Amino acid sequence: MNQRAHATTVLARRRIFETLISPGFYIAQTVGLVLAYFLVAGFVRAIDSSGFDYQLYPAYELIGRSLVGAFGTTFVEKLFSEGPFLFILYIAFLPVLLYLAVSSVFRFGLEKKVGALELLTYGPADSTSYFLAALIKDILMTAIYLVVLLVFLLVAGVLNNLILGPSFYYSLIILFFLSVAIYAYGIFASSLTDNSASAIAVFLGLILFFIIIMMGSFTIVSGYVRNLASVFAWIIKWISPLFYWDLALRFVEVGDWGMYFIGILLLLVLSMAILIISHLTMKARGVRP
Amino acid sequence: MIQTKNLTKRYGKFTAVDGVNLNIPAGEIYGFLGPNGAGKTSTIMMLLGIVKPTSGEIRLFEETYTPKRLDLRRRIGMVPEKHPTGMWTWMTAGEYLQMFADLFGLEDSGRRIDHLLEQVGLAEVKNKKFAEFSRGMLQKLSIVRALLHDPDILFLDEPISGLDPFGVKQIRDLILEENREGRTIFISSHILSEMEKLCHRVAIIFGGKLMVEDQMKSMLNTLAKDREIHVDLEELPADLLGKVKALNFVQDATGEEKTLVVKVPKTGDYRKELSKYLIDQNLVPLSIQEKSLSLEEAFVTITKENINLFAGIGGEK
Repeated sequence: MNQRAHATTVLARRRIFETLISPGFYIAQTVGLVLAYFLVAGFVRAIDSSGFDYQLYPAYELIGRSLVGAFGTTFVEKLFSEGPFLFILYIAFLPVLLYLAVSSVFRFGLEKKVGALELLTYGPADSTSYFLAALIKDILMTAIYLVVLLVFLLVAGVLNNLILGPSFYYSLIILFFLSVAIYAYGIFASSLTDNSASAIAVFLGLILFFIIIMMGSFTIVSGYVRNLASVFAWIIKWISPLFYWDLALRFVEVGDWGMYFIGILLLLVLSMAILIISHLTMKARGVRP
Repeated sequence: MIQTKNLTKRYGKFTAVDGVNLNIPAGEIYGFLGPNGAGKTSTIMMLLGIVKPTSGEIRLFEETYTPKRLDLRRRIGMVPEKHPTGMWTWMTAGEYLQMFADLFGLEDSGRRIDHLLEQVGLAEVKNKKFAEFSRGMLQKLSIVRALLHDPDILFLDEPISGLDPFGVKQIRDLILEENREGRTIFISSHILSEMEKLCHRVAIIFGGKLMVEDQMKSMLNTLAKDREIHVDLEELPADLLGKVKALNFVQDATGEEKTLVVKVPKTGDYRKELSKYLIDQNLVPLSIQEKSLSLEEAFVTITKENINLFAGIGGEK
C-alpha cells in the first residue's frame, strides 16, 4: 500500500470512529426516522375510499402545496404515484445528508484554520488523503443510514399494508450516488475557502443554486425570463448533481435501465471531476489558511 | 543533509524568500534567525513541502525534494510554534500520539510512545486529555509527536517561545540530547540568547535574503567591531577615565558606578596590561571580564545595517 493510501485508510478509520462515538450522527438519524414515522402514519390517515389525497392530512397538505409551488403538479404526482415511500425516502434522508455534508465541511474549515490539517501534512499524509478520508467516512455513514432507513420503511410498509414500489429502490440507489456528488461539492467548497463559515456558506450556496436552477426548469412558465433562464440552466445543469439525479429518475419512469445506469455513471464522473478539481485547488492553495 | 540553491518564493510582486542558499550537514544544530517578515516561515514551509517554491532547488538527504516526495517527508519531524489546541482535545495524549504513529505505520508504537513520553517527563499524563495540558506540556507533546517516527531532521519553529525558565531548560536539554543521538536540528527562533546556547551554526535572514551564515563563534568575531573589558573596582576615581583613555590600546573608556568599561581592539588580550596599570594607580580590581559581542547584538548590527536597504518590504506571508 502506498503512503497516500495508507494515510487515507488511517484517517478514514479515525473519522469513522469519531462519527460513531459522537451524538450528531445518531441525532440526525433519529430526526430522519421520526420524520419517516410521522409521514407514514400521516399517509395512512390521508387515504380515503378514493385513494390517497394529501389534502386530508395537514402536514401532507402543507408539504404538497410547497412542492407543487416549487416543482409543479407533475413532479408531485410522480412523487406519490407509488405511495408515500419515495417522498419519505427523500425527507428522511435529508437530515443525515445535511449533517454529514455540513459537518465535514465545517471540520475541514476548522482544521485548516487552526493548523491541524497542516500538522497532519507534516507527516506522510497530504491534503488529498485528508479529503479522501472524509469522503470515505461520509460514504460509509450514508450507506449505513440508507440500510437502516430501508429496513425501517420495509417494516413500516408491512405494518401498514403498504409496499415500497420499484421507483423507491431505484431512487434509493441513485440517492446514494447523488450524496457522493454532494459530498464532493462539500470538499470543493472547503478547498476554495480558509475557514468553516465561508466553506459552509459556499457549499450551501452552491446546493441552493442547483436547487433554484432545477426549480426554475419546472416552474418558470413563459416568456423572455424562461428563455433566458433555460439557456442559463442548460449551461449550469451539466455541473449540477441534481440534473443527473433527475435524468436517472426520468429513465426509471420510462423503464430505460441502460440510461438509468448511465445517469448513475454520470453522477460518478461528476463526483470524480469535482474531486480532481478540489485536489488541484488544494495543491495550488496549500494547507495554510 | 539540507541543501537549497537559489530558493525563491514570491507572492505576487512580493518576494518573501530571495535566492537563499543553505547547506546544512548531518548532525548539526542550525539556527535560523530573522525578524518578523524576514522570510523564515516561508523558507521552512518550502523545506517541509507545504509551500511550493517559485524557483530554486531543495535537496534533502542528497535527493531533489518536491512536495510529492512523501518518502522523504516521512524522514522529517516538525514542531510548529503553536499546537492546534482546538482539535482533538477529546483525545488523551496517548491516543493522540497513537493516531500519528498509525499514520506513519509504526510497528511497536506503544513502546515507542511510552519511551518518548518518559524521556520528556510526560509518562504520568499519558492517559490525560491534552486539553488540560499547559503550554510547556503541549510543546513537549508536540516534540514527542515529531520524534515518533525517528526522523533524521527535526524542524522546530520557536520551540521555547512562551515557556517558563524550567520549561525552557527541559526543551533545551531535549534538543541537545536528540542532537547527541545524531539528529540534525533546524531551529527558527527569535530568542537569541537560547540560540546562542544551542546552535552550532546560525544564519540570519532579512528581507528574504540570507545576510550571514557562519559558525556561532566566528560569526560573532567577524561582526564584532571592538570588545569591552569590564573591571569592577572598590572605587572609581574621577580622573581615572581620562588617564585610561590615554593608554595606547584603549579606544574609549566609560564608568558605570564602580565599574570601568574599556573598549579595546577586537584582536589581542589587554586584560593583563589594564589590570597592571590599575594596580600601578593603587586601585584594586575586584573582577575583570572581557565581554564579547552577543548574538543579540550581532543580530541587531546586521538588521540595522540592512534596514534602510530593505525599507518598505512587507510582512512575511
